Amino acid sequence: IKSQITNSCLQGEVVAFDYQSKMLTLKCASSSGKPNLNDVILINLAYVSKVDIIHDRTETPPPLASLNVSKLANRARTEKEDKLSQAYAISAGVSVEGQQLFQTIHKTIKDCKWQEKNIIVMDDVVISPPYQVENCRGKEGSALSHVRKIVEKHFRDVESQKSMQRSQAQQTQKDSTLSS
Amino acid sequence: IFNGVYANMRMVHVLTSVVGTKCELKVKNGTVYEGVFKTYGPECDLVLDAAHRKSPEPSLGPRKEDIVESIIFKASDVVVVTFKDVDPNFARKDNFTDAAVSNRINGEHKEKDLEPWDGGDTHNSDSLESLDTDVSNGWDPNDMFKYNEEKYGVLSTYDSSLSTYTVPLERDDSEEFLKREARAAQLAEEIEASATYKARVALENDERTEEEKYTAVVRGERETPTISRENKYIPPGQRNREAMSWGAGRQNSPRLGQSSAGASASRPGPHDYSPNTGPDQRVVNGGSSHWPSPCPSPSSRPPSRYQSGPSYLPPRATTPTRPPSRPPSRPSRPPSHSSHPSYPSSSSSFSQHGPTSPASTLPKRMSSEGPPRMSPKSQRTPRAHRVPPSRISSVSVAVDLGSHNPPGDVSATPPARSNSSGGTWSSVVSGGRVLSLSHRPRSPRQNNVGRASPGSSSLSSPQTGTAPIETVTTLTSASSPTAASPAPNMVASPSGDGKDCRVQETTQSSPSANNENIKSLDNSPSISRPVCKGPPSMAPDHRKQIDNLKKFSVDFRLQSSSSPDPSFDQMTKPVRDSSDKPKDLSLDKAAAAGRDGAEDGAAGLAAGGSGAAPASSASKPGSPAAPSPSSLEQKRGGQDVTSQGVQTTAMSTLSGPKHEEKEEKKEAVQDQVRKSTLNPNANEFKPRFNTQPKPANTPTPPRPQGQPSPSIVVQQPPTVYSCFPQMYPLTPVSPGVQVRCTPVQMPHMAVSQPKPYRPVPNMPQQRSDQHHPPGTPTMMHPATAAGPPIVAPNPAYSAQYFTCSPQQFTSQPLVQQMTHYQSQAQHVFSPVMQSSARMMGPPTHGQPSLVSSSTTQYPEQTHTMYGEYFTFSLSWPMPQQYPHPSATLHPHPQHPQPSATPTGQGQQGPPQHGGPPSHPAASPVQHSQHQQAAALHLSNAPPQQQIYSALAPTPPSMTPNPQSPQASFPSAQQTVYIHPQQVQHGYNPNHMAHVQQAHMQSGIVPSHHPAPTHPPMMLMATQGPGGPQPPMPQTALNPIPVSSTTHFSYLAHAQVQPHHQQQL
Repeated sequence: IKSQITNSCLQGEVVAFDYQSKMLTLKCASSSGKPNLNDVILINLAYVSKVDIIHDRTETPPPLASLNVSKLANRARTEKEDKLSQAYAISAGVSVEGQQLFQTIHKTIKDCKWQEKNIIVMDDVVISPPYQVENCRGKEGSALSHVRKIVEKHFRDVESQKSMQRSQAQQTQKDSTLSS
Repeated sequence: IFNGVYANMRMVHVLTSVVGTKCELKVKNGTVYEGVFKTYGPECDLVLDAAHRKSPEPSLGPRKEDIVESIIFKASDVVVVTFKDVDPNFARKDNFTDAAVSNRINGEHKEKDLEPWDGGDTHNSDSLESLDTDVSNGWDPNDMFKYNEEKYGVLSTYDSSLSTYTVPLERDDSEEFLKREARAAQLAEEIEASATYKARVALENDERTEEEKYTAVVRGERETPTISRENKYIPPGQRNREAMSWGAGRQNSPRLGQSSAGASASRPGPHDYSPNTGPDQRVVNGGSSHWPSPCPSPSSRPPSRYQSGPSYLPPRATTPTRPPSRPPSRPSRPPSHSSHPSYPSSSSSFSQHGPTSPASTLPKRMSSEGPPRMSPKSQRTPRAHRVPPSRISSVSVAVDLGSHNPPGDVSATPPARSNSSGGTWSSVVSGGRVLSLSHRPRSPRQNNVGRASPGSSSLSSPQTGTAPIETVTTLTSASSPTAASPAPNMVASPSGDGKDCRVQETTQSSPSANNENIKSLDNSPSISRPVCKGPPSMAPDHRKQIDNLKKFSVDFRLQSSSSPDPSFDQMTKPVRDSSDKPKDLSLDKAAAAGRDGAEDGAAGLAAGGSGAAPASSASKPGSPAAPSPSSLEQKRGGQDVTSQGVQTTAMSTLSGPKHEEKEEKKEAVQDQVRKSTLNPNANEFKPRFNTQPKPANTPTPPRPQGQPSPSIVVQQPPTVYSCFPQMYPLTPVSPGVQVRCTPVQMPHMAVSQPKPYRPVPNMPQQRSDQHHPPGTPTMMHPATAAGPPIVAPNPAYSAQYFTCSPQQFTSQPLVQQMTHYQSQAQHVFSPVMQSSARMMGPPTHGQPSLVSSSTTQYPEQTHTMYGEYFTFSLSWPMPQQYPHPSATLHPHPQHPQPSATPTGQGQQGPPQHGGPPSHPAASPVQHSQHQQAAALHLSNAPPQQQIYSALAPTPPSMTPNPQSPQASFPSAQQTVYIHPQQVQHGYNPNHMAHVQQAHMQSGIVPSHHPAPTHPPMMLMATQGPGGPQPPMPQTALNPIPVSSTTHFSYLAHAQVQPHHQQQL
């Protein structure tokens, strides 16, 4: 059932195909190069000019593992919220650096949000543009120091990123775009 | 169901697995949207949340205003959707299983080769070794206390009574307490009998170490550590086993008591039993001593448990308070022993057998009976163990019986039995009184037995087998009093029939050994009731003096003694017959079934005998009946006997109601019984009736206690069981009688009946019994106005009757008997109960083949049953009970009344009440239907169903014991096959099993009986077949009344039994 299809520039392993809707699902190596991740491409063959079978497999495909639907639903919700949050920041005119920083902090501390152009972490620490370590304000305490560490590390990583492409787990498109 | 893409599993899987990921979706116009993949439709429409049109300027993210809450893209518009960096395993549920983790391991990964670890020389000798070889189960608590005190000066405040956490159980002789105790015992039994419990215990007791069970390492011989478990924690169950001897002792004691009673009653017991006294003593003394020894378990628990165990035992026997009674009983017993050396011996043999093993007991017929009882008791003592023991004992017994039986000539033995039974009967008569007194004691025993049997029933086939045995024993014991008369009858002609019946029963039973067991349990209760009644008449003084406890003890003795011999003989014989056949059929189960069947048959015989006695014409009826039985299975007079038995059963049932009505009535009944005693059969029946009635009467009070009563009820069932065993023996003599008896027993057993239901196989037997009842029913019909209510009970009965119907037809005499019944009604009822129990066994045999035919007959039978009930009601002032008969409801109402008095009882009482009401409602209809069916000769099935429905109502009463009912239902269904109602009956059986629900059982009992009866009916039909059946329908109605009466009696009995327990 597995076959390799070449569609303009797409090539991958067919994991599913629906004849009626002509939808073909391919599993490709991750575009980000991460070994444990894949890119899944859903193609409407109605718009495909040519399909080449590169390799035909005869073995039965592996059994389908049951899926944790609630987990998927949660993921969809959080992703949506994140995106909306990001959009909010963008619409607020936050700089790319600020957005990157927000993404970084958000990966560590979920309890962070945009307030205008300020990043509010745990309702306690406020990071205002230009989002440097010294811009972190809040009650002195572990929270502030912790956030500062994150911010500090973030910019250090950003600096290193410039010289060396680094992949960060679950980097958002923006992150990637920004970095690029 | 699934449309479009949804029908494509793989597409669904893939798309679902990427839900919640960001994706870029390119539509046909070239626009690219980015969003969170939310979901997709059947047409592969895609939904993106928070989507925005991806701007050509990649560096900028979407602006707030660019984002759309969600966009639905039609599949036809989608060109390409790209999900980047998706973790395919994100949503896999087994994400963290070993397999899942290992699957994600990159690179070559093969299982590592496990290498035995060599700890090296340094550690071998010391720590590791010591750990492996240290068999001790840690420190003894006392050692710990002592060590801490010496070493650190810390004094433990540990109080073994745990007064800080709980309140010591205050034991008293109050009925309520006894009831509760019985209830607790029932519950414990139920729990212990449950498959889950056993499974768990098995896990706990698994001799294999965890290492052995789960290790992936294959050890060489050298490594296999053989750790002795001697000092390790011993589960209570196992401990019990250890204590088995003790338990056995106890059992023996009860048995002894019975045996002694029997001895006193008559030397029946006879020959085989001779050693009783010794055993009894053992029981009393040795038993106690044994317990202590078992207790020895390393941990402190043992003591507590032991205590609990003992307490349990006492409860069963007589609760804590009972102990005193025991002593008294013992004294009485001794005399009996002296008088009847044989009995004592038997009891002793029993005890010995019980303790040692079923097999040992099995060797001798007597022993076999003893063992069963013993086993039950032993089982009881150790709850968990109890069951096992019972199983074992039962099994072994069954086996033994089988072996023994084979050895013993069926025909030859029967006569002998009859003879013995005759002797026993006489003894029984006298013993009957004793029994009545002893009944209470028996009840405990019965309870024990019942428990054991329930457990066995609940357990696998083996258990069932054991249960049957127990039941048999119980039956015998129970029957002994009432059965005594039957036995005589049996002796005369029945023996042969009995054997036949037994065989049939065995065959039937084999299928539904469990059911039979249940039935037997039910029966036992009924028996117990009779016993109770007997006591009043026989030894009122004793009661006063010894109190309930003494009575119980006495009863036990009486029952055991009286019934044992006959029952044993019969049992053994039946067993032999059945066992032989069963053996062919299968292993233990078959044997068990056979035993059950035999028991049933014995019960039936007993009942038949009783029935005959009641009629005075008993012998006459017996002859007629005998023919019918013969028709069924070679049973010569079996049918006649059965018919007689039915009549007797009816009588017994009637008597049962009477008993319920009032003790006075009981006394009267006793008187009657005494009279009947003149006629061995008659006497026995009367006693039973008396006992039953009393139980009913007393029961009602107990019911008020309600909860307690349930427990009591349970106990009663056990007693019944014990009785049943006896009954069985009797039944063996005359198959037909047995059948009849079983029906009767069923009623009595009400509680026990539920068990019968389980035994579905028994059902057939019961049916056969019912057949007998039908004859009575004819009589009943006249009275029957109440018939309708009876209908409910009748269903089951009807079924039985059907099988019996042929016999019944033959037994128009039954009608006359019916009259007798009416007069003797109370007695009849008790017998009926017993008979019903017996029936249970036979029914099983019949059920398979008979089912269809039985069904047709059932209607009639049911009618008859009702009729009987009515007759009872009419004849007897007892009315309360009669009310039950009159309308199944009535019986229940009575119960309710009892319950009402007890109101406190609540569950049992209410349930019963509820049951009765329902019965009444249902019953009327059913009656009408049944009657119609009978008249029309409609398919028996409908009637049965109706009956069942009626029964079902009873189940409602049972509802308190929902669980058991349900469980029973299943069984019932199986047995019943066609009859849904039977299923309900099955519920009842379950109740039986639950014992606690005993009260419920009373209500249920009827249903059970029905079920059992049906099987019998089936048999009957098959055997007697066409001729008889056809007639049956017509006459059947009349006969049916009888059966119905029997059913009622059962109900009443069941109730009564509870009462007895309460009284006790």
